[in-house]
Amino acid sequence: MSLLSDWAHFFPELWPGLLVSIRLTVVAMLIAVPLGTLLAVGASSSSWVRWPTILLVEVGRGMPGLVMLYLVYYGGPQIGVSLTSFVAASAGLGLTAAAYISEIIRAGLIAVPRGQREASRALGLTPWKEFRLVVLPQAIRIVIPPLIGYGIIVFQGTSLAFAISTPELLSRAYNAASITFQYTATLTLAGALYAAISLAVIGLTGAPRFLGRARSLNTLRAARNASLPRTH
Amino acid sequence: MPVTTTALLELRDICVSYKHHQVVHNVDLTVDRGEVVALIGPSGAGKSSLLRSINFLEEPNQGQVLLAGQRVGVLDRRGRAVPANRRQLAEHRRHVGMVFQSFNLFPHLSALENVILAQVHGLGRSRSAARERARQELEHVGLSDKSNMRPASCSGGQQQRIAIARALAMDPMLMLFDEPTSALDPELGIEVLNTMRRLADEGMTMVVVTHEMHFAEEVADRVVFMADGRIVEQGPASEVMNNPRHERTQRFLSAVKNR
Repeated sequence: MSLLSDWAHFFPELWPGLLVSIRLTVVAMLIAVPLGTLLAVGASSSSWVRWPTILLVEVGRGMPGLVMLYLVYYGGPQIGVSLTSFVAASAGLGLTAAAYISEIIRAGLIAVPRGQREASRALGLTPWKEFRLVVLPQAIRIVIPPLIGYGIIVFQGTSLAFAISTPELLSRAYNAASITFQYTATLTLAGALYAAISLAVIGLTGAPRFLGRARSLNTLRAARNASLPRTH
Repeated sequence: MPVTTTALLELRDICVSYKHHQVVHNVDLTVDRGEVVALIGPSGAGKSSLLRSINFLEEPNQGQVLLAGQRVGVLDRRGRAVPANRRQLAEHRRHVGMVFQSFNLFPHLSALENVILAQVHGLGRSRSAARERARQELEHVGLSDKSNMRPASCSGGQQQRIAIARALAMDPMLMLFDEPTSALDPELGIEVLNTMRRLADEGMTMVVVTHEMHFAEEVADRVVFMADGRIVEQGPASEVMNNPRHERTQRFLSAVKNR
């Protein structure tokens, strides 16, 4: 039980860091989703923007997140852009996530059946309206689960911001440990907090799906039972 | 470019190819106002491709499409013909209704919203006018009670009738049907065919790709038989169906009728 009491001891120390990590995730996703949508549209278009966009996406996906963070935080001032570590971390994480999210959204756009575009075209909708009113609303429904999944990866990825001294969860844990040498207690607590938030999000957003499946299984079972011959 | 003709739709020398595979070969076809034309023939005959070239869902790589005497898909720029852009094609398509084999209703919208959407965003009607019109068209196809249902909770036959209402709300000059009953149980197909029969009676100009030989014989004014990307034979429905002249047509019809 000493681990639990250690955790209780360090919790107030780590709590503000957890809040910073959550804020980082939210801001990074707020950058990444709109930017990723733009990149996805660019990469799916048939005009000349296609290849430069694909290049940009592949560079973004190919570059490790930490390199991106360093680039924004330390490289920025060289071109006159000095950012606080929180802003740099959000931007860096957001840019990397945008590259990945653009691929998720592109897959969602492709998953909308061809007939939907044909019907829009046959009705005389212009390409922009076809996209905005028919394709995008359907693609969004398709990509929400993978986007939530990616949001969890971004949340865990906020620990990279430790490297540019953003006071997020991992740096709080590390600082507490370096004073007390209680590495096991602080790092397991940090890990547990990351896991608790990640699993809570999965649980909250995934639960309706499981429920839905359970319900349809029950209906199936009910239907099967109804069709079984009575024994009496 | 005023052209004197009684034809509503005129196809001249239409060719359609996918990559290097040509599926429609130099087809000429004229459809008069109020006429119902059934396109029949074996699969792979190019019926659907020909139909889809009328509203440029398949861009013909040769030939001309004229709707009400106006050349479509091509602009006259200082005497030179240049391909129309997508905005201009959209304008053309608003005059041509299309009904698909797979319905293609918008699954994220209610039946009513399906019928409203293109009226507002294509024709620029006010929402209230569009809603009123959508109600009328749903009633027209006998589905006023399904207005607020999503397509997924409607039967296939109902979905196809909503699709017909959606096309009619645009005030098309011409309706294209691409195997509208092929995805339906015979029982549900009948309600769709009855709706189409009523449209024909009301004087709508229709081009129908179909495997429903009874429908072709009873409802169509003219039957066009296609095989291998060409029109083999055409004429008044009863004549082509009961008294085909061409050997290829005879083979097809006897195969279909003896099924």
